[in-house]
Amino acid sequence: MPLTAAVLDELRGILDTDGLVTTPEGRMVYEADMHTFYKGAPDAVALPRTTAQVQAVVRLCRREGLPVVPRGSGTGLIGGAMAPRGGVMVSVNRMDAVLEIDLPNRCAVVQPGLINLWLTTAVSDRGYFFAPDPSSQMVSSIGGNVSTNAGGPHCLKYGVTTNHVLGLEMVTGAGELVRIGGKAAERPGYDLTGTVVGSEGTFGLVTAITVRLLHTPEAVKTALATFASMTEASEAVSEIIASGIVPAALEMLDAAIISAINASIGKIYPDAADAVLLIELDGPRAEVEAQAERVATICRRHGAVSVTVAADEMERALLWKGRKEAAGAVGRLTSSYLLQDAVVPRSKLPQIMREMKAIAARHRVVIANVFHAGDGNLHPLICYDDRSAEELERAKQANEELLGACIALGGSVTGEHGVGLDKAKNLLLQYGEADLNFMFRLRRVFDPAGLMNPDKLLPSHPACGEGFRPKRPVLPAGAWI
Amino acid sequence: MAVSAASVAGVFAERLGPERLVVDPGALSAAAIDGHTPRWLVRPASIDHVAAVLAVAWDENLAVVPRGAGTALGLGPPPSRVDVLLDLTALDHVLEDNPDDLTVSVEAGITAGGLAERLAGRRQWLPVDPPGWRRRTLGGMTATNAAGPLRARYGTLRDLVLGVRFVQADGVVTWGGARVVKSVTGYDIPKLMVGALGTLGVVCELTLRLHPMPDAEQTWLATFTSVEAAQAFVARVVDSSLQPTRLELLNEAALRVCHAPSAPFGVAVAIGSAHPAVREQGERLAALGSSEGVRIAAVGDNVWTHYDTALAPAEGEVVLRIGSLPSRLADTVKVIERALPAAERAALITGCAALGTLRVAITGADPDTVRRLVEDLRALTGEFGGAVVIESAPTAVRTGLDPWGPVEPATLNLMRAIKQEFDSRGVLNPGRFVGGL
Repeated sequence: MPLTAAVLDELRGILDTDGLVTTPEGRMVYEADMHTFYKGAPDAVALPRTTAQVQAVVRLCRREGLPVVPRGSGTGLIGGAMAPRGGVMVSVNRMDAVLEIDLPNRCAVVQPGLINLWLTTAVSDRGYFFAPDPSSQMVSSIGGNVSTNAGGPHCLKYGVTTNHVLGLEMVTGAGELVRIGGKAAERPGYDLTGTVVGSEGTFGLVTAITVRLLHTPEAVKTALATFASMTEASEAVSEIIASGIVPAALEMLDAAIISAINASIGKIYPDAADAVLLIELDGPRAEVEAQAERVATICRRHGAVSVTVAADEMERALLWKGRKEAAGAVGRLTSSYLLQDAVVPRSKLPQIMREMKAIAARHRVVIANVFHAGDGNLHPLICYDDRSAEELERAKQANEELLGACIALGGSVTGEHGVGLDKAKNLLLQYGEADLNFMFRLRRVFDPAGLMNPDKLLPSHPACGEGFRPKRPVLPAGAWI
Repeated sequence: MAVSAASVAGVFAERLGPERLVVDPGALSAAAIDGHTPRWLVRPASIDHVAAVLAVAWDENLAVVPRGAGTALGLGPPPSRVDVLLDLTALDHVLEDNPDDLTVSVEAGITAGGLAERLAGRRQWLPVDPPGWRRRTLGGMTATNAAGPLRARYGTLRDLVLGVRFVQADGVVTWGGARVVKSVTGYDIPKLMVGALGTLGVVCELTLRLHPMPDAEQTWLATFTSVEAAQAFVARVVDSSLQPTRLELLNEAALRVCHAPSAPFGVAVAIGSAHPAVREQGERLAALGSSEGVRIAAVGDNVWTHYDTALAPAEGEVVLRIGSLPSRLADTVKVIERALPAAERAALITGCAALGTLRVAITGADPDTVRRLVEDLRALTGEFGGAVVIESAPTAVRTGLDPWGPVEPATLNLMRAIKQEFDSRGVLNPGRFVGGL
């Protein structure tokens, strides 16, 4: 339903002169995030510069009953920053200032549109960095990272976004401006900061973020271990974790991904390898040295053909370039793919890799792997030819079976990408009705009218709706009068 | 509604077994909380028992106070009502242990010491060490987000609780989070429950992330004549390549009870890592000290044992938990010193200097002095959004002033709305949380 002229006028009055996109071609730019399978253009795109503008837009939408869809850089992978029901998209790209850098207290206050990497760039010469490093960090916004509770390779050691967010300023779905958390580490009351991080814009719009900064480690060592099989590589990962070493990053790439990267970016990894582990250790020099030896020993024990250490920063950067640009290189491999983000317990990696092989064979699909092995966070790319409906069907079946296998091993549906539209139905695999109902009620507290990023994160299940009543213990009959 | 007390007792006895219900008046009055004697004391042995109790409480509008080891009952204002005291210490089992994943699922009534024993043989730990942690329950530590010196490196339970199974106020058993170390599936319900003092649900099971225990840990003590010098030194450590596991500020009285060398102020720096790295970082710390003219000496690890014993919660003392900032530590300590008369200078001031959190334990202070101290501290921390919480104090102190301190009205409204949504009848811990929730 297109917006009325009166509403559009009011929006123009709230925003700067060039702050509203209404043309069809302009809106189409915003119809999808990186999961382009899901499309839904908003009726208008607001480009606010201030918190006051954000609040005014949300209040207007609330009055008019219009959906509000937050968007950062649009690099999400879940059908999140798109508008299935139209409404007003609030794109925060123009709110991209670093508001404060407070190194004595190791934190910074930023606006949500700030690009992740820019923050580290702003403080790196003084020896600090912002730890969450999604592969998209060159383009993704910190607001978007907060929204999905983004992870990244180095989250193995340093934790995901939520472990680095100290406070938020946000406009709730009810149109209220609230400040939650802050620089001080002790605060009374519910941990609303922790509750809002990862809520995918369904609670409201974050307008400022206080983040923790970490001191750059003294030494970094990046090694590449080459294996003749995925199973061996997985066993090495499981043993590294079980041995008590916490690498900064522990990434696995399989043969399909290696060849795609080598073909598109240049020969970075050994062609003949069936799997490689990219292992990064950081910290005090002596600690890194001690751990590097142990890691190499473990890899060799599990059949590593070679373990080589990047000799200098250039070699290290190259090893990471391949990893971070892997998703782009996949275009060499397939026209389309289904991407999963499931997690398994780290000790179950060898098992899930074997099951994955069987599933791929059963459904005659290629499954390529590039993932955060140390966390057990898989990113299988299930390849298919989008010209063949039958192939897509097989890919979907493989996808479903694989997800089921991960959950059966005690895993999780999504480790870092988030739920969005794409995985909402999958929550039923991991949560019961009472659990979903609790989440639905929490959402309603922040967004009583149900206008914030509708259809995302929670499934359309009776438990996620008004009037549903979860099961309570049955009390003996006749106990009450 | 309004069934007889005997009928409620009958249902509890039927559902839990008569041996899990205490109705003896003597035992009940011994379990009184701030003068409120519970009408029933129940000791559930399963989450289903907890659910059954809460279902009854919800239907009958009974106030339920969950209790673990009972060490944190002095947190928050006195409860407005206490009908059922829910003793969770019988829920003390390890449910699922995954050493190779560094995760463990436990019942909430297990003590931190009990879990530590279980983990000791494999050099893994749950690095959360509020004073007296061995006898505190993990459920209680979760409800209060209690933390100690190790938070400098490992954070708090907020960062370590992966999954929670809890019973809502009306008796509905609910699960949130995951059993793996990384998950963004749905809302982060564990975060909501950590530190919520059981006001949104009674947490009965926890899935926890464990950490590998460092091969070695050694502690050095830097001593100072002024707190400003201590703060400046902490800043240098934090801004260096050193990675302490603990970075704790201690005042003279605290140093004394820890059997540490005497000085007006000390900063204990613990380094945990591989052996050569501990040695190397120790040398670096010494070099940092000598370049700054700071006296640094190695101290035995038993300094932490003494710390744990001497600072463990004690009857009648006043404990404040202060959220200051690393850059305002000295200011905060000076406010404390100014507000306390000479006779009460024996206050034990400790805190995670790296994060700017402080803990003050005062014995025998009169309520007026405490009130002045809290007000002065709140005036200071209010400048930068910090907070002062009374972690424990005699009832008289906690009735005279708000133990939680102010929360911004819009933020408090949101908290109130959450409480209203999940416990509109005020069954869970009524009156004990922020804003009288």
